[in-house]
Amino acid sequence: MGLRRYLANKTVWYLGALVVAVVLNFVLPRLIPGNPVDVLVSKMGQGGLSSEAQQRTYEAFMREFGLDKPIWDQFLLYISGVFNGNFGASFSFYPTPVSSLIAQSVPYTLALQLPAIVLGWIIGNLLGAIAAYKGGGWDKSVFTTALLFNSTPYYCLSIILLYVFAVVLGWFPVGGAYSLGTSPEWSWAFFSDALSYWWLPFASLVLINIGGQAVGMRSMAIYELGSDYVNYSRSLGIGDRKMTGYIFRNAMLPQITGLALSIGTMVGGALITELVFSYPGMGSLLFGAISSSDYPVIQAVTLLITIAVLVANYMVEILYGFIDPRIRASKSGEK
Amino acid sequence: MTNISSSAVVAEAEGPLVPVGLPTEPKKAKPGWRSLNFGSRMWIALGIIGFVAALAFIGPLFYPFGPDEKVGSLYDYPTWMNTPPTFEHVLGTENFGYDVLAVLMASARTSIIIGLLAGTIAVVIGVAIGVLAGYVGGWVEELLMGFTNIVLAIPSIVILILISISLQSTNVPFLKGAVGLALVIGITSWPWTARAVRAQASSVATREHIDVAKLSGARTPSIMVRDVLPYLASYAVMAWVLQLASAILAESTLSMLGLGPSGANSLGKQLFWALAFQAVATGAWWAFLPPTIVLTMISFGLLYLQSSLDEVFNPRLRRGKKKNLAKAAARRAETARKLAENQPVEVNA
Amino acid sequence: MTSILMRASNLTAVYAADSGQDVPAVDNVTLEVPEGQIVGLAGESGCGKTTMGNALAMIANPPLYVVAGKMEIDDEEIDLSTLARGSNEAHRPYRGSTVSLLPQGAMNAVSPTLKVKNLVIDVMRAHKRDTTVAEAMDRATDRLKMLEMPTRVLDSYAHQLSGGMKQRMVTVVSTLLNPKLLIADEPTSALDVSSQKALIEMLLAMVEKKIMRGVIFITHDLPVLSMVTDRLAIMYAGKIVENGPTEELVNNARHPYTSALLSSVLDPTEETRTKHVLGIPGSPPNLGNPPSGCRFHPRCQFAMDVCKVEEPKFLNERDHEVACWWANDHAYETVPMEVYKA
Repeated sequence: MGLRRYLANKTVWYLGALVVAVVLNFVLPRLIPGNPVDVLVSKMGQGGLSSEAQQRTYEAFMREFGLDKPIWDQFLLYISGVFNGNFGASFSFYPTPVSSLIAQSVPYTLALQLPAIVLGWIIGNLLGAIAAYKGGGWDKSVFTTALLFNSTPYYCLSIILLYVFAVVLGWFPVGGAYSLGTSPEWSWAFFSDALSYWWLPFASLVLINIGGQAVGMRSMAIYELGSDYVNYSRSLGIGDRKMTGYIFRNAMLPQITGLALSIGTMVGGALITELVFSYPGMGSLLFGAISSSDYPVIQAVTLLITIAVLVANYMVEILYGFIDPRIRASKSGEK
Repeated sequence: MTNISSSAVVAEAEGPLVPVGLPTEPKKAKPGWRSLNFGSRMWIALGIIGFVAALAFIGPLFYPFGPDEKVGSLYDYPTWMNTPPTFEHVLGTENFGYDVLAVLMASARTSIIIGLLAGTIAVVIGVAIGVLAGYVGGWVEELLMGFTNIVLAIPSIVILILISISLQSTNVPFLKGAVGLALVIGITSWPWTARAVRAQASSVATREHIDVAKLSGARTPSIMVRDVLPYLASYAVMAWVLQLASAILAESTLSMLGLGPSGANSLGKQLFWALAFQAVATGAWWAFLPPTIVLTMISFGLLYLQSSLDEVFNPRLRRGKKKNLAKAAARRAETARKLAENQPVEVNA
Repeated sequence: MTSILMRASNLTAVYAADSGQDVPAVDNVTLEVPEGQIVGLAGESGCGKTTMGNALAMIANPPLYVVAGKMEIDDEEIDLSTLARGSNEAHRPYRGSTVSLLPQGAMNAVSPTLKVKNLVIDVMRAHKRDTTVAEAMDRATDRLKMLEMPTRVLDSYAHQLSGGMKQRMVTVVSTLLNPKLLIADEPTSALDVSSQKALIEMLLAMVEKKIMRGVIFITHDLPVLSMVTDRLAIMYAGKIVENGPTEELVNNARHPYTSALLSSVLDPTEETRTKHVLGIPGSPPNLGNPPSGCRFHPRCQFAMDVCKVEEPKFLNERDHEVACWWANDHAYETVPMEVYKA
């Protein structure tokens, strides 16, 4: 009963957040004085297009993107696009649909972030747990290193790794996702080639995630070490190993919600990491779209990121509800 | 075997059990400020932050070049690498031929100012919403916290990007510049603070002195300001330090995406240009390492400061000094030995 | 006279302060528990009674160190000191089976993600590795039935039980292995009156059924103590100042501190109703720098010159021990309470 209420509560909140996010994603780009096409066409004007040609392009774009319709119709159009996965055509790669641009980038972003988040979480928690358990010099060195990584901005570490390991030492390629002359395909040759480009951006994401999780886990575990049940279990003669089990089960729970809350930050950091390594994922796509005022692409990418983060958070919180017996049993869901 | 219940918490306490008592040093009178027990971490953190602040605000007074003075061409080597070495342009030039150190100092200044402004805005909004929700409770709390939780769930970087894009296209120079960016960062990053402050405020609201204030006829706003806020002050200071760090990082993230403050240098913009002009690939380390290092120093220094402030405000987290603990362990062993031999023990020796 | 179950001697425990100074919380104390009896340990907060309980339960943890102390229980002799490396592991087999602790505030005594039955299994296995789940469950179920408690608690998490039920459940778990000595540290202080009564009745029933052979009951709640205990030991500033059979001690307090402590408690009998309730003037001393001589002398109405200089030795009168210069001079006399009444 408690669980059902918790699930319902979370579902309502996340649906609310989703609605707000979708609306903001529609409204914010339209706060621009004039409209996106104005900006784009005036840029073309600088490129030396005649004013007549400009006018024609302008009208064509207006029709194409439905900007000549009233705002309410535009919104309905946008919503139906969201549901159909149809985000229109890109400005800069006209008439390539935005969805196919995104389909090209998403695999790279997922290949970087998913393993980095999952492995970073697992390794970081293990390291933090061991640091808290072992104490002494181990704790000190792990904690200091983790703190340093945790407080290093993603892109700073990316830049340093790129410079040291790719430029100076030459162990890895300097940027991109695969060698010139190869093209993405399902073959071992391409996969191993792509892997050599993948290591560095992956490392810079995973190292920082490990640092953050280790710092969090260590302090949670130390907090749990001082709790009453540890003392009581000790007084019953329960061994250290068993007690470690209790402690880490309890310390783990806040770490799960911590994961949910940090996914958003991680995604933001990873965008720039892609830029640094010229890795052709969503970050690079977004960067390109921003510099060329490609509004349909910007809007689609930000919407997708938001939805992905919301869904990930939602799933983590639901999982948490199943794991923590206090939620399963409590009478009311917490907010 | 490891004693888990103690090893982590008081790991340092288990100093070597020296068999004989060490001579104790005569106690020196400590100056007043030493009694604050800042600890070495605080000094390291303050040292790092002080260094960056000096670079940003005092450095330009003494450095002969300005950030908008063209002194060379694309990625000129630092002059000490020339033969013969000189110390004219210690960090060489960047892509436009400006002096890197001069740009770095101007960038650090802008970044810090953006951080201070945005951090302060975020903390003020966060504390106001948190105190209001936590103290008033009821539907006000439901409403405010519902709003906060929704904003928290949406990745703030997305909102930042979307608003910044709109700002870039305005014709108001004030909004396109550093101040506009700081405003945007400030009004998008308060939810963390609000949520944490609410928890604190609602626990303060149940304390007895609040009842006393109510009974004595004080009004709600005055209670919130006089009786609730002071208890959150230490917390607000720590939140401010964190917000400062995250605002500076948010600025550089946006700048690297090409959404930096127009008409100003910033650490993120410096990195943006370095990446755009292939500084990393061409090995022009002097163009990208300085802003990278300064950003890392700011971030590390502020986070380190926050964790040491936590120790100052929560004395329970403090650990004894290792030297003292080793001495105590030695003395303890001595006491145990005397007790075992049934000698009289002077406990407070 | 009954035989002695447990004798702890020369127990000294210190807290390591940040400054490097050691604060002795229990100072060279000796305490006995006779077979089958409940011994109360009473005193103001901060007098060292909980520290003493932790030292006896062998769970002293930094910053608390047991510097010296020896426990003789049955035929065994245990070195209580925690200074040597590995002492934690050496003490482990005794915990829970020889000496068990019923902790202060059982509210958080069980890990929130652990069902009671899993704790039961872990406790049994900690002392007998090959215990099967069925064996552990049988034992716990039998014990619960014997004490007229519902067996459903085994399937619960701690947060699903009420405060009183939680405390009784913890008591059952603490005594599952029939410890020789149970150290009950303020077990009743967080409970409402009816839960207090239930718990005390349960403890008495357990002693009756010889589940444990002796209890040290630590509390500042004197009415509870005078109700359940056979003997009382009064602690002040890390030392035991008076020790004797409960009735004898309550009616014939020989130490001014005991007397003051007793008088500070509301007692609704006809005789005391007319008297003023008296607190103890002053406050407990700083253990880092205790007063010279008798530690109570700055607050004592009977203090003499000798009290400030020399620590009083224990004076033994008919199984009633007291460490006080005034008592030394006034053999067998009760402390004249009226003096406080000014």
